[in-house]
Amino acid sequence: MTDLSTDDIALAGEYALGTLDHATRGTVAARIGRDAVFAAEVALWEARLDPLNDALAPVAPPAALWRGLEGRLFAESPRPSPWRWIAAAGALSTAMLAAVLWFGAPLATGPGPMWVSDMVSEDGSVRLAALYDEDRGEMRVSVGGEAPPEGRDFELWLIAGEAAPISLGVMPEAGQAAMPIPEDLRPLMLNATLAITDEPAGGAPGGVATGPVVALAALRRI
Amino acid sequence: MSTQAADLADLLARVALRDRSAFKALYEAASPKLFAICLSLLKDRREAEDALQEVFVKIWHGADRFAPDLASPAAWLNTVTRNHAIDRLRALRSGSYTLDAAEQIADPGPDPEATAITSSEGRRIEGCMEGLMPERAEAVRLAYVEGESYLELSERYSVPLNTMRSWLRRSLIQLRNCLSP
Repeated sequence: MTDLSTDDIALAGEYALGTLDHATRGTVAARIGRDAVFAAEVALWEARLDPLNDALAPVAPPAALWRGLEGRLFAESPRPSPWRWIAAAGALSTAMLAAVLWFGAPLATGPGPMWVSDMVSEDGSVRLAALYDEDRGEMRVSVGGEAPPEGRDFELWLIAGEAAPISLGVMPEAGQAAMPIPEDLRPLMLNATLAITDEPAGGAPGGVATGPVVALAALRRI
Repeated sequence: MSTQAADLADLLARVALRDRSAFKALYEAASPKLFAICLSLLKDRREAEDALQEVFVKIWHGADRFAPDLASPAAWLNTVTRNHAIDRLRALRSGSYTLDAAEQIADPGPDPEATAITSSEGRRIEGCMEGLMPERAEAVRLAYVEGESYLELSERYSVPLNTMRSWLRRSLIQLRNCLSP
């Protein structure tokens, strides 16, 4: 008992199998949302193919992953965090355009609104200037000063409001890098503080900051 | 329902009611299998860790969508995980290729011999995979377990992408006729 053509049944199977390309997956997912008969066929495929997962031996995830999850979902529960004192930091601004010029080659500015954050560690040994191009949704960072200790990386974080800091990625040891800012984060960039932490090589496990804050500064419109 | 399935179903029901201790127990019970799925599909530890965390955020917010009459709790968890990881995998490589319209396939109808065996043995997918040509059964496994795209499979088997897609679509219909005559 089905109203679906063989082609639609195969398409539902391809969705469950996972072989469709990104755009087609999006189209099929939208159809699942509005076509109950098709959605039921996809669910049947998911159940039919599920025993193929038996081939996979379980792998325990790292312990930090649960802590990160807990921190993300139950943020009001007490947790050790280097961020507690940061709430007030948004007000402490150092918007110094001059910082952008510290590092040799100047960062190119676009025609649209630009935002800058210059982060300098307390002893001045680590410096990171970030220039955000609002129209293009792209940030350029310029890293100077001392490299992170052996086996460690500096990681850049976006702090907006009360939410947990969001990782923007691990920084290069020196020089400049262009970082596209994901669409969903762009509105947050307009009222945000950026911070650098000292993390294990490759970045904070589970996407939750573990290391000390090295430097932070608000993003200021220039 | 097995004891393990009943336990998972019970935990999911409690998670839907925002029971944090149930969520922790569910994480402990289910995360190793779901992490294995993320690793197998994404082939990158950091990506797999990020994906697993996103999956459990979805489970926390969406446990009420689990419908015991449609899937076993383990299969539901596996599906939530697979869908997230595959979306991520395809998004990471989006632009690498796009599919043309699929070739139409004819439904050969249930294989009478297979039907007879199915009804007598109630066999599952493993048995039905044996009915496929070995190379095609392997391609189904590589797609499902390893997350290989049509492009990767077509390169592996040195056939045009559309041919690869036709193979797999026909294999799927053959599997379906074997599983649900």
